Amino acid sequence: MEISTTPRPCNHLADHKLRHGGISFYNTLHDSLSLSFNGRPTLALSSPSARCFSCSPSPHQERLYLCLICSSISCPRHALSHSRSSLGHSISVDVERAELFCSNCDDQVYDPDFDSILVRKFDGSSIIAAGDPYESVAERSCKRRRLRGHAVADLDYKRWKHLGDQRDKSCYPFGLRGLNNLGNTCFMNSVLQALAHAPPFRNYFLNGRHDRGSCQKMSSDQLCLICDIGVIFSAMFSGDRTPYSPAPFLYSWWQHSANLASYEQQDAHEFFISLLDGIHEKEVQSKPINKDLRDCACIAHRVFSGLLRSDVTCLTCGSTSTTYDPCMDISLHLGAGKCVSTGPVNKASKSNGSTGVSSLVGCLDLFTRREKLGSDQKLYCQNCGVHRDSSKQLSIKRLPLVLCLQIKRFEHSLIRKTLRKINWHLEFPFSLDMNPYLSSSIIRKRLGNRLSPLEGDEPHVSTEYEIFAVLTHTGMLESGHYVTFLRLGSQWYKCDDAWITEVDEEIVKSSQCYMMFYMQKMLY
Amino acid sequence: MQEAFEIINVKLMESGEKERLMELLRERLIECGWKDEMKSLCRAYVKKKGRNNVTLDDLIYVITPKGRASVPDSVKAELLQRIRSFLVSTSL
Repeated sequence: MEISTTPRPCNHLADHKLRHGGISFYNTLHDSLSLSFNGRPTLALSSPSARCFSCSPSPHQERLYLCLICSSISCPRHALSHSRSSLGHSISVDVERAELFCSNCDDQVYDPDFDSILVRKFDGSSIIAAGDPYESVAERSCKRRRLRGHAVADLDYKRWKHLGDQRDKSCYPFGLRGLNNLGNTCFMNSVLQALAHAPPFRNYFLNGRHDRGSCQKMSSDQLCLICDIGVIFSAMFSGDRTPYSPAPFLYSWWQHSANLASYEQQDAHEFFISLLDGIHEKEVQSKPINKDLRDCACIAHRVFSGLLRSDVTCLTCGSTSTTYDPCMDISLHLGAGKCVSTGPVNKASKSNGSTGVSSLVGCLDLFTRREKLGSDQKLYCQNCGVHRDSSKQLSIKRLPLVLCLQIKRFEHSLIRKTLRKINWHLEFPFSLDMNPYLSSSIIRKRLGNRLSPLEGDEPHVSTEYEIFAVLTHTGMLESGHYVTFLRLGSQWYKCDDAWITEVDEEIVKSSQCYMMFYMQKMLY
Repeated sequence: MQEAFEIINVKLMESGEKERLMELLRERLIECGWKDEMKSLCRAYVKKKGRNNVTLDDLIYVITPKGRASVPDSVKAELLQRIRSFLVSTSL
């Protein structure tokens, strides 16, 4: 495979820059650089319908080049003759794409200085003040090392599989234990199974990081959700294989989420979020360090918290404003089947309108796609001073240790004015590379082929994830059943309340996934 | 024939409709995978010729006919329809 290297600067460009004062060579362009209709960098010329000076009659040419010395505009052919007739006029800029071209090399050329001017002008995050409260790469990698150091009793599944439990003939891996259904509590059981097998989360409880003894002393009659989770995990990893009834935990959780306390069916994702919320609240109670949510040290945030970046672009002037929001999971819409190509290009893999088959990758693409907001959602533009039509684009600034992806399988049916479940099958990978959805990748795609590294680029962060749990939902919106598939080692297990069985990966692939848990590959 | 083309072109540009149509076309071509297909064609060509032996013009020359031929009919039809309704609305 080729090694990708930055292209060597062309001699003609270097020459020009030297003769015309280095980076100030680009000063004339700086003001003309703007964002086009679709948010991509372009040159805004004084006359919008620019034509090639030399072509007559002047046909409308797609590619126009602006000479950096004399500002004459030429089509590709005449750019060549221009550089021949006027010596030293070889460097020009593609007007539509804001990319450099050298007529002597007869090819596109790249210059980090030019790109850095462009990136600095258009990368929204570069406008953030110096006091931005997100950690440096060094701090974060320290934190990660600390977390891994905590996992003293890190369970090696292969090792435990041999020791096994003498009572269990099939020698299932350590920690696999069924959970009894206490009355429509499959939503709870399925989430608990997934959490119990997320190593960073599980290890916190099993290694006694939350001291139950001192916790009970401090809050004598108050229930502690964290203690209860610890109790369940200990029970699951005790070696006892008989199904466990998490009744104390259920009671504890009802106290926390009074509005959801009933024997009615609940949504597993809602439960997951309320559980993490409960852990965070309890932690913040006992250790009132008033920190920014991004730096919260509670186990829920340490394991699941990531940072989302939202760029809102004014469609009139092109200026972008950026905000960052912490998130505990990512909710994805199912790609609505739109275009079905009839020509030789037949991409049936991504989305198909009639059968509604989508892929997780397609959903993630949709999540990070630039979305034009409706005219009823005009946002205030700082630059223009009025409300304008805008576009929004999401990307992931910081990935969590454990990534939870929820598929929004319910939609409002306009006909019946109710919520209904979308039963489409979703194809998902066991290994997922989140690199294309990072903020650095998304911005790089938006600004085109630029050389300079973008603000906050972190080349050392691993973006590879491995799946370890899948929550599936079968049935209808109001009456359905949750089941969790766990991957331990290379074997998949089905956790259906009290019943745990070995299953083939094909069963998992063909299931109707609702929530998927991915873990950073290096932790797997 | 050429004059009709010119007039329509100018009308499209002045009203800003051409930009909107270009944007729509871009979206459609990305959605149906055409862009990805062109990208991989470019990659294959560069791989075959060697990275340092390919210029921008080479790529354009090679890819353009393939690209033009593989635009889905539905996309063509949609754009034609849009242009038609635009012309009707500006009563040309």
